[in-house]
Amino acid sequence: MRNRAVIAMAASALVVSGLAACSGGDAGGPVTITLLEYQQARADAVQELIPEFEAAMAAKGEDVEVELVTDVLTDSQFQTKITQQLHSGTAPDVIDMGGSHVTGLAGAGYLLALDDHLADWPGWAEYYPQVKAQAQQTDGHTYSLPHEAGVQSIFYRKDVLEGLGVDTSQPRTWDDLIGRLKAITAKTGQPSMLLPAGTAWGGGTWSEGFLPIVAGTGSTFYDPNTGTWTLSSEGLSATFDLYHELTQAGLLPVQDLLNPNPWEPTKYVKFPEGSLPVVAQGTWGWRYDWGPEGAAPIEDVQNKVATWDYPALVPGTEPYSVSGGGFAYGVNAETEHADAAVELAQWLSSGSALARQLVAIGAAAPRSGISDLEPYKDEPTLLDAEEKLKTSVDAPEGDGADQVSQAAQNATEQILIGKADGAGAASSFASDAADLLGPGLVAK
Amino acid sequence: MTSPGAARVRQGGNLALLLGPSVLLIGVFVVAPTGYGLYLSFTNTQLTGFAARNPQYVGLDNYSYLLGSDDFLESLGHTGNFVLWSAIIGQTVLGMLAALLLGRKWLRGKGLFGAAVLLPMVVPEVVASLTWASVLSPRDDGTLNRLIGLFGAGPVAALQEAPMLCIVVVNIWRGIAFAMIMFQAALEDVPDELVEASRIDGASAVQVFRYVTLPLIRGPVFLYLLLTTITTVGVFGLVYFLTQGGPGAATQLTSIYIFERAFQYSQIGLGSAASVILLVVLLVLGLTYVRLAKVDV
Amino acid sequence: MTATAERVAPPRQYVRARGQLPALTVVQRTLQYVLIALVALFCVVPFAWVVLSAVDADAGPTVRTPAFTLTNFVRFFTEAGTPRLLFNSLVIAIAATALNLAVGLLGAYALSRFRFRGRRLFMFSILLIRVIPAPATFVALYLLMVKIHLDDGYLGLILVEAATALPVTLWLLKGTIDAIPFELEEAAWMDGSTRLGAIRTIVLPLVGPGLGAAAMLTFMAVWGDFLTPLVLLQSPQLYPLSIGLFRAFSAFNQVDWGVLAASALIYMVPPTIVYVLLRRYLLRSSLGGALKG
Repeated sequence: MRNRAVIAMAASALVVSGLAACSGGDAGGPVTITLLEYQQARADAVQELIPEFEAAMAAKGEDVEVELVTDVLTDSQFQTKITQQLHSGTAPDVIDMGGSHVTGLAGAGYLLALDDHLADWPGWAEYYPQVKAQAQQTDGHTYSLPHEAGVQSIFYRKDVLEGLGVDTSQPRTWDDLIGRLKAITAKTGQPSMLLPAGTAWGGGTWSEGFLPIVAGTGSTFYDPNTGTWTLSSEGLSATFDLYHELTQAGLLPVQDLLNPNPWEPTKYVKFPEGSLPVVAQGTWGWRYDWGPEGAAPIEDVQNKVATWDYPALVPGTEPYSVSGGGFAYGVNAETEHADAAVELAQWLSSGSALARQLVAIGAAAPRSGISDLEPYKDEPTLLDAEEKLKTSVDAPEGDGADQVSQAAQNATEQILIGKADGAGAASSFASDAADLLGPGLVAK
Repeated sequence: MTSPGAARVRQGGNLALLLGPSVLLIGVFVVAPTGYGLYLSFTNTQLTGFAARNPQYVGLDNYSYLLGSDDFLESLGHTGNFVLWSAIIGQTVLGMLAALLLGRKWLRGKGLFGAAVLLPMVVPEVVASLTWASVLSPRDDGTLNRLIGLFGAGPVAALQEAPMLCIVVVNIWRGIAFAMIMFQAALEDVPDELVEASRIDGASAVQVFRYVTLPLIRGPVFLYLLLTTITTVGVFGLVYFLTQGGPGAATQLTSIYIFERAFQYSQIGLGSAASVILLVVLLVLGLTYVRLAKVDV
Repeated sequence: MTATAERVAPPRQYVRARGQLPALTVVQRTLQYVLIALVALFCVVPFAWVVLSAVDADAGPTVRTPAFTLTNFVRFFTEAGTPRLLFNSLVIAIAATALNLAVGLLGAYALSRFRFRGRRLFMFSILLIRVIPAPATFVALYLLMVKIHLDDGYLGLILVEAATALPVTLWLLKGTIDAIPFELEEAAWMDGSTRLGAIRTIVLPLVGPGLGAAAMLTFMAVWGDFLTPLVLLQSPQLYPLSIGLFRAFSAFNQVDWGVLAASALIYMVPPTIVYVLLRRYLLRSSLGGALKG
């Protein structure tokens, strides 16, 4: 008996690698595509659409099955996990992810270049130019199909501000807005604005907090022509100074931001109850966060909540909104069923399927031809965001965005814990980011 | 020690068959990764970004980067502090206290007290972290805040305001039992007559411990210190669960630094180099341990 | 630890002072009772939240008087994802322990009964390996496992866990087998038993305590491991309880504290049982030091 155990052990340890390597594709049978969703609301929305897609494919005589993999993850957990899966060749065929993840994954060669597929697809012509431009990577290829557009704005509790007697018109400058925030804080004795910052919020600190502010300063941050990042500029300094000013004045909920899951006490408790009435946030706040089926519903959200554009930070600039932060479908470069996988992504990004997802998440359409479809056409806040998209500022994204994002998280964290002022954070950001990027990606 | 008949036994095939599986398992899953890590530490291997497509040999770049990086050196400092305060001081003092007290002949309820002290060691580290997350909760009704409330102190967000202290306390809590078990074993070798005689001669309990007991158990105590140092350097989950290294990098132990570099920033080469540095430190400690332990083979 | 007290002779002082204890002694003893009670409280109090919240219908992140219910446990066993976590933990821990013991027993027998070149070196090397913690190797381990296609699966994790705990098992079992007189085996050979037959009839019955101790240490180490599955597993259907609890705790949306506490309680049960059942086998030897799980 022991003999057999020994042999079995030795054999298995040696042979397993060989066995695992020879899993072949099955020709002829039904094609199965796996689709990964890492946010519950998106998974729920897509789940309902899958049978329709399968039926549509069957009508074309193609036997395609879609297996939905739902794995609810935070952004940084997703980043770690999908990188590992793609690296080890165990990733799903289609991956639905935040646009900021695409660059790093595409760079490493994990995602399929979709250029040819998109060129042959009539739907692509209907995409807004800003969305297309953002989807294109530094090497000139497009590795993801955006299926929503987000517009970053400043959300505020209209009912609360009016109750406190605070002006709700569009603030022209940050000084203007800070004056109002101080007035609120003076009355409530609590922080008044949530601007994602620090490491606990992960990628949100970058895409919902830092980047939208830098993008409006007019300073070049990422130059797509040279593929390099400019790590110190007037705009960056002004941005760090702003974080410092907000922190020092007690306007940011510093303790909450430093906790794990900083969104829970802020976006899901204090904003809904009205004690933290101003939040920098993407379009999805309308549904995903505060909608009737959202994480923390606010009753009558359409009337209680409204948005401002970002006020001007640097003299000579105007208030603006920022596009970006929407999700996109990426296709695993190693997929055995590239055509079917791309077809799934395209189908989900078209017509009624897209309209329903947009409403479930709370995102603007990245393309024309959706605004008159049920149920999207009945969502004034989303239609309004789609309108804004056409004039919004692009948030710069390029190779190395993950690293710059990490540096921004660290630098804003230094401000939160009181270890650095604006200038200190700006310089530690510049050296940190340069370290993480390596020489090739930093502008001289 | 030596088995008299062993030499007569036909070896060769039998030996390979018996020891082979062990060698294979340890070789493939423990030794090979260590060697592979050494190799990776000389490359700029990444998991994402355009640089991931062709990793290159970069010589000692990763090492010179790390030794000049405040973040890494700080993480070593954090690990050093963590070991010093939680393992060398906290666990040792409380473990010795528990061992001495539970050794008192007149003490009733030894089983109950002993079980209480053992519980933190027996539960998985994730549960340990979870229980402390509730104790340290910043809410008014967190266990710690209720406790200090009894003394009139206001609620604190302990994990933000004193993060290092928190993880030190948690690790002390988890390690008292192991120290206690080790010291109980050592104390068994201290003859009771000696202690009794000193007491009759008028020595106080503290003096007895200082001049009679301690010299006799110095060897085992030193070995324990070395061993607990080594295991404490390896702590990851307990702290990662509670703070993920934050706030800022206040609780970023080297183990967490390595995890973040390798899997959050995808810098495999750099993470591997940090691993190698940690490994060298531990091997030095480990060799000292093996030599001093005088284990019999 | 109670055994410690039973073995010692009655102390002289106690005999002398059979009647009334001096007042000073009473004060000192009271003080020491207070001290040990404080240490014990410090060790136990953090568990209050797990125990109370597990049976609380509206549990939160902090201790409160529970609205008693068992639904948290019912939900643990009926919800889609959670029973799977328990199942995975059991599969991984039991398989890794069994593999570890089988391989370790064979290896330890060889190390105990055979003289061969490099034996001492091997023993010392694996003792040294024992001190290498996971954080020093997991990065390369992960990439290596990807290369040999053993990542993200039961098999790979089981092999790694079994291998990681192997040095301690080998040391423990070698010590146990050393203590079994070789003459007994030789006598069995004389009676016509084969070498393996002699191992089965002579060694195996006597190696029980060592196996028990090794099983305890291995099972508890694998059961509680967090880092290795965190790095090696990506598929949610493979996650053990350690990862499941971490993910539930750091969930993006609201945490379900009641089920989380119930899961933690369920997660605590097997290692506690194993410890209570098997700790008497835990040998105190010169190796004692190498045993921390």
